[in-house]
Amino acid sequence: MRFLIAFLFVFCSFSAFSQVLTKEDSLTAGLIRSNNTTVISGYGQLKTQYDFRLKTANTELTRNVLFVGHRFKNNIYFFSEMELENAKVVGGKASGEISMEQLFLKFNINRSTYLQAGLFIPRIGIINENHLPTTYNGNDRPFVETFVIPATWREIGVGLYGSINTVPGLNYSVAVLSGLNSANFTNDTGIVNGRMEGASSASSSIALTNAWLLYAGDWRIQASWYYGGSAGPKRQADSLHLQSGPFGIPVALAEANAQYHGRNGFSLRALVTGVSIQEAGKINFAYGKNTPQNMYGAYIELGYNFYKLINPTSAKNLTLFYRQEAMDLGLTRAKNYGEDNDVNRRFYSVAGITFQPTGGVIVKVDYVMRNTGDRNPALLATQFPRALPYYSSNGFFNVGIGYSF
Amino acid sequence: MTSEGKTRREFLKDACTACMGVSFLGISLSQLTSCSPFPVYKTDLSKKIVTVPLSSFGESTMVIVRDMQVIYDVLLVKKSDQVYDALYMRCTHQENPLTATKTGLFCSAHGSRFDLDGNVLKEPALAPLKKFKTELQENQVLIDLNS
Repeated sequence: MRFLIAFLFVFCSFSAFSQVLTKEDSLTAGLIRSNNTTVISGYGQLKTQYDFRLKTANTELTRNVLFVGHRFKNNIYFFSEMELENAKVVGGKASGEISMEQLFLKFNINRSTYLQAGLFIPRIGIINENHLPTTYNGNDRPFVETFVIPATWREIGVGLYGSINTVPGLNYSVAVLSGLNSANFTNDTGIVNGRMEGASSASSSIALTNAWLLYAGDWRIQASWYYGGSAGPKRQADSLHLQSGPFGIPVALAEANAQYHGRNGFSLRALVTGVSIQEAGKINFAYGKNTPQNMYGAYIELGYNFYKLINPTSAKNLTLFYRQEAMDLGLTRAKNYGEDNDVNRRFYSVAGITFQPTGGVIVKVDYVMRNTGDRNPALLATQFPRALPYYSSNGFFNVGIGYSF
Repeated sequence: MTSEGKTRREFLKDACTACMGVSFLGISLSQLTSCSPFPVYKTDLSKKIVTVPLSSFGESTMVIVRDMQVIYDVLLVKKSDQVYDALYMRCTHQENPLTATKTGLFCSAHGSRFDLDGNVLKEPALAPLKKFKTELQENQVLIDLNS
């Protein structure tokens, strides 16, 4: 009996102590006046993919992200996210990657306006800001928001965020960021590799971006644009006859998206985007690349949460979804300096099931059908059969888990 | 004047113009936030108990209880003539201030949504909103901020 009482005492003490350490309690304790709170949380995902053409499975710890935040004052915060992709980083070998996904200070100006300064993700697209694996269907982030709009596209800069209360649900953001470097653009990944991502890199390019976001009922509607230079360092740009300066070799991007998340269990996501690099010909002439002049991407996703049939108020999630994506990373090419490459015209059909037994935990099963045009043989240095064949149609089966806490 | 010096000036000029533009836009837009879609009752949230007169609801079923010195508001929701809920308008994901609409609350930063009971409708937020005890006394709602 004494042992039982002692055990209960220790257990209760531990439980009470544990409660003090949880994120939610530590943040809400003291309500308004408490300062100097540090929070650790994170998210991550793993997946196994089976390639039906190669008849091979690939298993990976896609990413693990550690979040550390700190409140200095009630209106000044620190946020950081450090990401490890593919489990490990080995010197001198092709392996994973460690990077800072975000690192910024946030200053609350008033209850509806705040300012961010540092390395942060601007409000462009859906996945960019809301990239936790528990917030989207499928093991892979939408491909349009990976290749046309780079996923987790972060740059160093200053951003102002706020809401306009005269129009309920209307929010805005405007930011000044470091620009891109066109020297790193590649033909099959658009502008993705031209990002600075906070790494020390000589450049004189800057960019502006602006987003408008409206919450209306169960809808979330957003439109945003980006305009920035990509000429790179001035000396390099000048020597290559590229127009230097903050907005030299400009890249323009625009997107609009809508999301519906109904209490009836239905959900919808749709996004359309376009990218324009009007001086792509100069980039190609300078670097011997095949940068396209225009790109586009669009997708629509429909889903239904079957838990709503059993219990309309349930927080659990068992969603069957279908997503159709289309993109062309070489919609138009630069005159004189550029080659058509039909492989960049891609269509993805994704169908699957998302299961959330509780908030923050997700199990995903999906099938991805990828269809593309054929490769341009003129762009291949090594021809078949010395090079691996390319399948313009291929299927992938994915099983994965994700978490966020 | 070297071409490099000129470019440096141009860069600084463009960067400063862009920053000033952002600041001007922010200040301009901030002016538009003076109005609110719901009645606002201004009080001192450092008190343990806050008293909100029922007359502050007007025709609305919700009142935003605000302290100008504090970044987060409290949303007082009239469920019935006898029942009132007080929700702390701070997102449980990354502490962003929430915006209230007739159908619920949302966070513009990462898309979390809550219903008017404070329950999570959409992640990334995992925990429900902090709820304060309320008590109806004559023509006033008492909110216990220490609850």
